[in-house]
Amino acid sequence: MRHASGPRGGVVAELTPFGFVVGTSLLHRLDARFKILFLIGLSLASINAHFDGLAVLTLVLAGSLFFCRIQWKSAWRELRYFLILLAMVFAARVLSTGGSPAITIWMITISLPGLTTAALVCWRLAFVVLLGLAFVATTRPAEIRAAVQWFLKPVPLVSEKKVATMMGLILRFIPVILNQARETAEAQKARGVENRKNPVYRLAKIGFPVMRRTFERADDLASAMEARCFTENRTNPELSAHWRDWVAMGAVVCLCMALLTL
Amino acid sequence: MNIIEIENLCHRFADGTVGLDGIHLNIRRGSFVVVAGPNGSGKTTLLRHLNGLLLPTEGCVRLAGVSVAQDPARARRLVGMVFQDADSQIVGETVYEDVAFGPQNLRLDHNEIDIRVAQALKTVGLAKIRDQRPHLLSGGEKRRLAIAGILAMQPRVIVFDEPFSSLDYPGVQQVLQNILKLHRCGHTIVVSTHDLEKIIAHANRLILMHRGRVVHDGTPAEVMTEVENFGVRQPCAMRLGQEVASWLS
Repeated sequence: MRHASGPRGGVVAELTPFGFVVGTSLLHRLDARFKILFLIGLSLASINAHFDGLAVLTLVLAGSLFFCRIQWKSAWRELRYFLILLAMVFAARVLSTGGSPAITIWMITISLPGLTTAALVCWRLAFVVLLGLAFVATTRPAEIRAAVQWFLKPVPLVSEKKVATMMGLILRFIPVILNQARETAEAQKARGVENRKNPVYRLAKIGFPVMRRTFERADDLASAMEARCFTENRTNPELSAHWRDWVAMGAVVCLCMALLTL
Repeated sequence: MNIIEIENLCHRFADGTVGLDGIHLNIRRGSFVVVAGPNGSGKTTLLRHLNGLLLPTEGCVRLAGVSVAQDPARARRLVGMVFQDADSQIVGETVYEDVAFGPQNLRLDHNEIDIRVAQALKTVGLAKIRDQRPHLLSGGEKRRLAIAGILAMQPRVIVFDEPFSSLDYPGVQQVLQNILKLHRCGHTIVVSTHDLEKIIAHANRLILMHRGRVVHDGTPAEVMTEVENFGVRQPCAMRLGQEVASWLS
């Protein structure tokens, strides 16, 4: 059995396998603001892309990911849940798209357009997820926070510093809260909660202690931040655009334009 | 010279519970003080007055001659506090970012932040895992990260609230080594604990608290004979009539 408090993580690590990986690849060196724009642009372009366009996008992404030193074993293990989702999307698309029948199994008819559409949709979804993985693996959380803060600065009535702080705290505390929920669930199991068939009862018995502990932690966290002189006017990570960011921007814009027009 | 002066400190919580009742204490610069007492004796409440997380209902706490209530921000720069639950203290998404949190709040420039973070991580022996995510660290490493986060703010006093709770033997040794290192570097150390066994061999003063009051204050040898009357266990060696040895020996 593995514990979160054990060496290098354990169960909690399994919950959050995607994180920043130290490296010096081109993706690592690009400005986080540009990477967010690339993420949005390429995701939107992939919606319009067909097999040939997706093949180009996937090749470019695969080439970039190759240099990012991502732990593929761990990523693959976690992506299995996503693959189940993809399989469900594939099945739903196949069954809901009409056309001339290609295969008939019992009462179920599968058409060629159905297979094609399902494959295209799943490929697009997989591409967007891998794009997100590449972004998270090559960008320090502080840089992501600083970039979001930069984008939100001109938005009226939004305190970009508060949003950035909340973002950082959410990223930090999701694994802690998940671990708390797991421990509470195990403690309830040890006391035979599974013998109670009422799901509402079981949910309440797990939910309330987790919420109470989360609020207690929030109190402790506020004290700890106060003890370390927390202020919204703090030194933020430096973001600076270089020539390589603009070159990458040009390349991504050309790629997106080509996909949208072809 | 005293760095901490506490005069008639009283603290009453919102529900009327008395947390502290008439505390008088002076702590000399560079000393190593252990504050002992059972749960609910007021140790944590006392420590939280040292950096202005709590303010007195009556009385006064002064740091290097200036009242904490007058300038809590200064108090937080002078007194670094390592909390009992390291998980609640760590706010950064990586080891580096967590240590940089304090210096960033002090609005230091990037070079200075880098220097301070590197020094603090080197001191606690975490320099090699600066890009690791904190929730993947062991209990001892998390506690050392919490210490590094405080060190980077360069406080003169470092306060530890139950620093050895939930740690295994190697974890206790690592944290103890760090505390002693900081003391050797000239920091004033205040440690609150109900478990004297692990730390008392290194302290030069023991303050015993009970129900919000200081009931004994002196050298460990003077106060140790009284601790069991106030719900704190004597170290095993002492019960056997032997000298208390360091957990590092």
